[in-house]
Parts: sequence; C-alpha cells; structure tokens
Amino acid sequence: MQRFLLFVDKLSTFVGHAFSFLIVVLTLQVSWEVFSRYVLDHPHAWAFDAMIMLYGTLFMMAGAYTLSKNGHVRGDVLYGFFQPRTQATIDLILYIVFFVPGVFALTYAGYFYAAESWAINEHSNVTAEGPPVYPFKTVIPIAGAFLLLQGIVEIIRCVICIRDGEWPSREEDVEEVDVEKLKEMVKVDEAGMDVPDPAYVAPKGAGR
Amino acid sequence: MKIRKELWFGFSLMGLILLSILFFTPWGNLTNGHLGLLMLALVVVTIMLGFPTAFTLMGMGVFFAWLAYRSVNPDMAVRQVLDLMVQRAYSVMSNDVLIAIPLFVFMGYLVERAALIERLFKSLHLSMARVPGSLAVATIVTCAIFATATGIVGAVVTLMGLLALPAMLRAGYSTQLSAGAITAGGCLGILIPPSVLLIVYGATAGVSVVQLYAGAFFPGIMLAALYVGYVIIVAKLKPALAPPLPEEESRVPIPAALAPLAERSRNAFTGLLGAVGGRSLGVPARTVLGQLAVTIVPAIAIAAIAWATWFGATKPAEVVDTSGLQASGFAADAPAAGGLAEPQSDTGLAEPPEEKEEGEAPKAEGGVAEPPGAEKAATAAEADKPAAEAAAPVERLPTPNWFWIFLAGAALVAALLYALWTWQRLEIFKMLLSSFFPLAVLILAVLGSIVFGLATPTEAAAVGAFGGFILAAIYRYIGHAREARRGHQSGSPVGRTLGDLWSIIKESSFLTAKTSAMVCWLFVGSSIFSAAFALLGGQEIINKWVLSMDLTPIQFMLLAQFIIFILGWPLEWTEIIVIFMPIFIPLLGHFDIDPLFFGLLVALNLQTAFLSPPVAMAAFYLKGVSPPHVTLNQIFAGMMPFMGIQVVALALLYIFPEIGLWLPQVLYGR
Repeated sequence: MQRFLLFVDKLSTFVGHAFSFLIVVLTLQVSWEVFSRYVLDHPHAWAFDAMIMLYGTLFMMAGAYTLSKNGHVRGDVLYGFFQPRTQATIDLILYIVFFVPGVFALTYAGYFYAAESWAINEHSNVTAEGPPVYPFKTVIPIAGAFLLLQGIVEIIRCVICIRDGEWPSREEDVEEVDVEKLKEMVKVDEAGMDVPDPAYVAPKGAGR
Repeated sequence: MKIRKELWFGFSLMGLILLSILFFTPWGNLTNGHLGLLMLALVVVTIMLGFPTAFTLMGMGVFFAWLAYRSVNPDMAVRQVLDLMVQRAYSVMSNDVLIAIPLFVFMGYLVERAALIERLFKSLHLSMARVPGSLAVATIVTCAIFATATGIVGAVVTLMGLLALPAMLRAGYSTQLSAGAITAGGCLGILIPPSVLLIVYGATAGVSVVQLYAGAFFPGIMLAALYVGYVIIVAKLKPALAPPLPEEESRVPIPAALAPLAERSRNAFTGLLGAVGGRSLGVPARTVLGQLAVTIVPAIAIAAIAWATWFGATKPAEVVDTSGLQASGFAADAPAAGGLAEPQSDTGLAEPPEEKEEGEAPKAEGGVAEPPGAEKAATAAEADKPAAEAAAPVERLPTPNWFWIFLAGAALVAALLYALWTWQRLEIFKMLLSSFFPLAVLILAVLGSIVFGLATPTEAAAVGAFGGFILAAIYRYIGHAREARRGHQSGSPVGRTLGDLWSIIKESSFLTAKTSAMVCWLFVGSSIFSAAFALLGGQEIINKWVLSMDLTPIQFMLLAQFIIFILGWPLEWTEIIVIFMPIFIPLLGHFDIDPLFFGLLVALNLQTAFLSPPVAMAAFYLKGVSPPHVTLNQIFAGMMPFMGIQVVALALLYIFPEIGLWLPQVLYGR
C-alpha cells in the first residue's frame, strides 16, 4: 500500500515539477513582450492570451502537487495541537464531505466544459483571431483528475494514520523556509548559539 | 498544560460560534438567506478545524449552491451547480489580476536566493552605528527592504533570526525588543508594495491593483518609520534594553591599498582628488580613480534628481491637466514617451476588464476610436529625431522659483556630504552600493513603472522576476569569485555559478508553483463559496441587518476593522480577504467609503494577523531558529508593543487618509 501511495505522490510531484517550469516560460514571455513592445515597437496580439494560459495551467496543474506536499493553507488554530489520530479523523471526514464532492464536481463539469469547447473549436475572443482556447479548458478536468487521485491517496493516508496512530511518511521536497539551507546562506556560526552567553542571559533580557 | 490552553482558545471560539448559530437561527422558518448565514458561520468553524481551506470552501460552496438552486428548480439544480462550478474555476484561471501573483512570488524567491541579506544587514548596521538602538533599527530597515523585495514572511524572519538575533543578544539588547523588531519588520513585506496581499485584495474587491500600490506605499513607509521611532525612543529612554555599540564594532577596516592616503587626510574626497593631482603616495592610479568614481556617484545622483525635477517642473503646460487620462496624456504629450502610445492602447484592447476597473476605460476607447493620435505618437517614436523636434516647438515653462531653492538645498546637501566624506564613510558607502542600492533600485523600478502607468503589474512583475534572476546570478558569481580568489574552491567561478543558478531556478519554480497553487486554488474555492452565498441571499440579510443598525460611517468603519482584527487571531490573511471581503465590499457603497481606502486600512490591519497569537506565524519561525533560552512567551511579549504601533498606524491612517490617498490622487486624479 505504501508503495502505491508513494507512487501517486511521485506522479503528482512529477507533474507539478514539470508544470512549475511554466513560471520561467511566463517570466521570459512577458519580459520579451515588454521588450518587444516598448523597445522594438512590435507587440504581439496573442501575448495576453498566452500569458493567461501559462498562468492558469501553472496553478491548476500544481494543485495535486501542492496537496501531496501538504501545501494548501490550513487554519492552524487547533489542528497543530491535536494528536495525529484526531487530525486524521477530522481530515478523513472532511475529505469525504467536502473534498471529494467539490473536486469531483469540478472534474466532471470540467470534462463537459472542455468537450463543448473542443466541439465548437473555440478560439479566444480577446483579440480578433485569438488562439484556440480548448486546450486551456481541457486543463480543468485533467488537473481535477490528478487532484482527485491525490485526494484518494490522502484519504488512504488518513485511514492508515487512524490505524497506526502516526502519519505515514511523505517524499521530501523544497521547503519555503528550509532552516538548514537558510543557515548555509548566511553562514551563521552555530558555536555561540547553544551556550547562553553570560553577557546576555544576565538580568537585562529576562528581567523585564 | 500549555497545549490544553491553546486548545481551549480554539474550542471556546468554535463553541461560541456554534452556540450563536443555535441561538440566532430561526429554526421554525428557515429561509435561504438564513442558510447563507449558517454557511458563513459553519465555514469559520470548519476552517478552524484545520482542513485545507480551499477545499472546505469548494465543498461547502457546492453543497449550498445546490440547496439554493434546488429551492428554485429541483430538476435543474445539479446541472446549474456544475455549470457554476466550472465557470467560477475558469474565471480564476483567466483572471488577469491574479496572474501577477506567481510572477511576484517567483521574483521573491529569486531575490531571496541572491543571498545578499547578510551584506545588506551589515552595511545598514554600520551606516547607522550612531543611531540609538542601531542594531534594532538596522534590523527593521533590512527587514523592510528585504521583505518588500521578496514578500516571504517566513524566510525573512528566519534569516533575520539567524543573522540579527544573535548579533543583538550579543550586544546586550533585551530579548523582547530584539524579537519584536525582527517579527514586526519581517511582516512589513505584506504591506509595502509590491505585495501579494494587495493583489489578492484588488482581485477580490475589484479595486485597481495599481492604485492600491500607489496608496499603500506611504502607509507602509509610515509603519516602518513608526517602528524605527519606537526603537529609537526605547533605546534613548532605557539604554539598558538596547545599549550603544562599542566603538570598535562600528569601525570598518580600510583596505591596505588606501591606507597611506587615509593616514594623510581625514576627508576621502579631497584626499582622492589630491591623489589624482599627483600626491598619490604610491597608491596605484587605477585604485584612486576607481575610488573617486565611487565617490562621485552621489553627486551624479543628486544632479540627476535635480535635472529630473527641472524637467518635470518646466514641462509644457498641457501635460499637467491630464485628469483621469494619465496614460493617454503620457502618450500624446510626453515626447520621450511617444513609443508608449501604441502599446498602451494595445494593452487597453487586450485587457478590457482591468482597464475598466482602473477607471481608465476612456484611455482604451481613445486608443480605438482615434487611431490617428496613436499613430502620430508611434511615428514620433519610430525615429528619435522627429521626437526631439516635436518637443522643441513646445516652449518649456519658465523655471519656477521654488526650483532654485530646491537646487540650492540639493547643492547644500552635496556640499555637506562631501565635507563629511571620511574614509570610513567611503567604505560604508561601497558596502551599501553593493547590497542596498541594487535591491532599492529593483523595487523602485518595479513599483515606479506600475505606479506611473508605464507597465501593468503583470509586466512589471515579470521584468522584476527577470531582474531578480540577474541579481541572483551576479551575487552568486561575486561570492564564488571571491572564494576562488582565496583558494577555497576548485573549478571556475562561472561554472559553479551556472550550477547554482540551475538549482536556484528549479527550487524557485517549484516553490512558486506551490505558493501560487495555494493562493489560486483558494480563490477557486472562495469564488464558488461566495457565489453560493450570494445565491442564497446571505449578503442581502447582512446588508439589511447592517443598515438597520443605522451606523454612521465611522462606526461602521470601526466595527469592520475590529471584526477583521479579531478574525486575524484565528485565521490567516488569505482566508480573511477571500472569504470576508466579498461581504464587506458591497456595504461600503452605503456608507460612502472608498474601497481603495478601505483596502489600505485592511492591509494595515492584517499586519496584526501575523503578530497575534496563537497563529502568529512570525513568532514560530523566529522560535525555530533562536537560541534555546529565548522562549515563545518572550517573543510574544516582544511583539505586543509593535502590535500596539500597528493599531496606532491604523488610527493615523484613518484620521489622515491623505497618507494613503494623496499619491493615487496626484497620479490618477481620483
């Protein structure tokens, strides 16, 4: 079972990583467009559509990846203080009550939404002769399906956690606040940190 | 035992909400509107349970939207819900305001990885050595600048916790003051533009992000200044809490090459001039000229500012009255900006929704309806000479008197600067030049091009991200080159830099994907949720209820800010904005409150959300890297005065709205 869980994690992560490079493309595309427009005086009509599509695809396809890394924002008033088993129970219930219907509805509706767009060969109406929109709309059901798959894995994780009393392990990934990396960046000398320096443990600090 | 206390807080809050649901809901005759309110209360409770907010909102939105549709037409309900769902998701996907978020986030991660914070802190600290509480002041300023450029609270607080906290504790600063300065300073990035919070607010409330940026600039600076002022006053009144630095710590070693010159004269400027004049005392001419070039940078900057002021002051009159038509005014009048004309109108064509929000619709229409104007400007731009000639016939205004006074002032500043230009200061200035100024220029360029209407936030963010990448490349290269010179590393610095850059781009992209997915999926969820809320008519009930209370605008404003302040304790700013702003915004019209002004107050108010326990992220990040004897309670205690200052700043902004509204008024003639 654990192998299946990690496989889906890896799949979501791979997809997320692959699509996250769209931000580089987006940066370069917009930067080039700015240069082309203001310096070369040669704007492109499709630039706006391309920009929107890159952005939309980027965040939609990263949804499952973010879920697999537990990156979606949570209200952390109580959650962090619960036992793992309590956490898993709450998560399990809410995954079934909120997540599955919501994401399933999105995927299901997205499928027909995209199908309709393919059927009418829809093009963007932002500019005349805009680029095709149907691939972009197809992103909705695909992203939804990945998210649903990852959600099922998370549900299984909750069940395992309720059984074992602790969370099954996850793959590691880049963290926003990775203390070790940040320490490397500023080259802190750890030597003086652990031993309280008599100069500053003295009454000044704690006394007030 | 401590854990129980924390749980108590959350549970009692939840219990309170559930009780009030039970008490206030008219169970006998439940209308749709009541269902809407029920949904709102339930979502707060559920969010507090800790399930990912985006999916809580999505699930609840789907369910309650289905209830709403079912009450009208049970047969169509499922189809309508599905349609609503996918349309809402698609509207977030194609939202041209939110698109700036991943770009700004990307820029932040790149700048963060340029690894210049250490240099920045050191140079600011040295340049402020004489100010009371200099370490804490430098901490706040470093935080403000770095947080503004990166916008990542966690990373800034962690980095400063590693850098500044040991330094301050070692210098004998009180733990509370040190912790407060770091946490409060680290959160400034959320307020000072370019910040993601303002984009999220702009997208939710339909306020122009450009105007929000222009408006939030001075309140942000004001808050930072208040922090600095507080630290200075504390350091003056109670030196025990922030003792002055010993003399030797604030001295900068002067490089050996310049030492002979430094021994002869105190003033670096005259010393260097003398060296050029022949009395070089064996210092190589290249070194002298290089130092002199650095020395005259401020003079050049002052001259440039003076010239720009003169240019602005004597601009032909017609430029001045471009009320409400800023951008087309640019295009038609400013010869230098002629090239902007066509792109501007093209932007108008490409992004109709944003333009409409910005109240600049006339601009876009002008571009479409009057092609000759745009073409004329474009041809003017095509060749430089015609553009210059076009400027010539328009007579410049006579130079106003105040300009001469300004010029005299600038000259005085320059004279003073060079009179006090010691070798020490030259060294400090060089350090600032390599850490503070690049960041400041990056921020000001991004912000300036947005605020002056030269580029959309999206374009500025993309170019800013590109600039951040170049910054990271340069700093990494300098670092490696220095190491290589010392012989610490094998391999060429260029190769190592390229290796670094690849990992920087990879990590930044992954983090950007996660952060933007987090924010934007939250938007998907909340847009479905607020659609359900509107369908159920919850908004109408709230509107009626608030109007029936017959509040004055001031009372309403205070109430709203108080509610947001309270919500900031259990919730995070993203949740507060995307869930509760759609409820407040429609009410603003009744009370004649400017949504822009309200947004500025909210942004300032939400600063407190970062510092208020128990969800004070900043405190936990700091605790994670501080020495073991610093307790969480000390950190919380240290944050309290700064929270007080935030409330004071909020009051100041409320009493003097010009702090925020002056710049948008001047720029956009609101």
